[in-house]
Amino acid sequence: MRTRIGSFFAIVGCLLLSIPLFAHHGNTAYETSKAVELKGATVTKFVWGNPHTFLMFDVKDDKGNVVHWAGEAGSPSSLSLLGWSKDSVQPGDVVTVYIYQSKTGRPVGRLNRIVLADGTALKDSALGYREQ
Amino acid sequence: MKNLFTVSVAVFTAAVGFSSLVLAQDTPTSRPGQVEQRPPSTYQKLADAGPGGPAPVHDLNGFWNGPLEPKFGEMPSLTALGQSKFKLNVPDPFSAHSNDPWRVCDPFGFPRSATNETRGLTFATMPQGIVIMTQYQKIWRMVWMDGRELPKNVGTRGGPSSRWYGYSVGHWDGDNTLVVETTGVDDKTWIDRRGYPHSVDMHVEERYARVDHNDLELTVKIDDPKIYTKPFVVVTNKFKFTPTQQEDEQLCVPSEAIDYLNTIAIPAGQDEVGQSK
Repeated sequence: MRTRIGSFFAIVGCLLLSIPLFAHHGNTAYETSKAVELKGATVTKFVWGNPHTFLMFDVKDDKGNVVHWAGEAGSPSSLSLLGWSKDSVQPGDVVTVYIYQSKTGRPVGRLNRIVLADGTALKDSALGYREQ
Repeated sequence: MKNLFTVSVAVFTAAVGFSSLVLAQDTPTSRPGQVEQRPPSTYQKLADAGPGGPAPVHDLNGFWNGPLEPKFGEMPSLTALGQSKFKLNVPDPFSAHSNDPWRVCDPFGFPRSATNETRGLTFATMPQGIVIMTQYQKIWRMVWMDGRELPKNVGTRGGPSSRWYGYSVGHWDGDNTLVVETTGVDDKTWIDRRGYPHSVDMHVEERYARVDHNDLELTVKIDDPKIYTKPFVVVTNKFKFTPTQQEDEQLCVPSEAIDYLNTIAIPAGQDEVGQSK
């Protein structure tokens, strides 16, 4: 019986260890049940890079303090298929951001989508298809 | 009691296994509440192009589209040395905690350039060989076709130095299959994104079989008895001839990768939530 219990926990242990290997794109750090809506976000930087692109932007919190946010999205090759380009977003643009925030509570996360001033929605290649 | 135990194991195993798969998805279609809208990639569009006629003889020239990742083969057991080296490798380019060379855009080396980010491949015939170019990182490998032999004793005193992409020679097997043999790859590189190691003495065989005008099938086989207990196929892959011959620019830029780690990975607590290995 002791051998069986040992085997059981060995199997479970192996499977648990395998989870991070499968989840190679690192979204486990984010609270993906609900995207946070951030209106009036002013873009400060957009990095069109590998392995992932990311957007930096400033948003005022409830007290009027500016919070510096950062959100990652898919690779350039993945986002290109969805209408993004290196020049889609530029510093100074004011956009609405939907983002899955880090479980740490810090102002960083994985984008769901951003909505440009003209109403164009740019979705993330991984989590951009979630209905909000 | 025995049945109860067996059922418990099966249920728990299935549940944990299922959760792994759910977490693994980087495509949106498997998540509840999601809408299937992702447009097809160029590679997926080319899948409907058909064979395009017979394969030309001894000719792979041109740009080929591939999938993001190849199909991985079954890994053999590691030797004691292989296990000790494998334990040192912590994969995940998105984690500040890992020591994945990709994390800071170090060269993939070979065969990782054929097992990781495989969206584009170009062949160009040269006077004495064939150049194989990989879209990701614009990697250039010279395959000598002039009958020369692979160097021996690479990485030993008096022998040639090991290199990121080793030394490659090739020949045709029949009319449509290019066979490339490679050795002398620097052992600080990994064979794939999972962190599997190799020795400098690793021997890699790539077989590029052009089955018709539009379809190219690749098999990559590794023989490295210092690290693995038997030879094995590490990946297979399928490429599509690209009529436009237009490649994408896909570069991993060190300063951007470091910026990503400092701006996203570390503040997001990716290492706090899940370690890679």
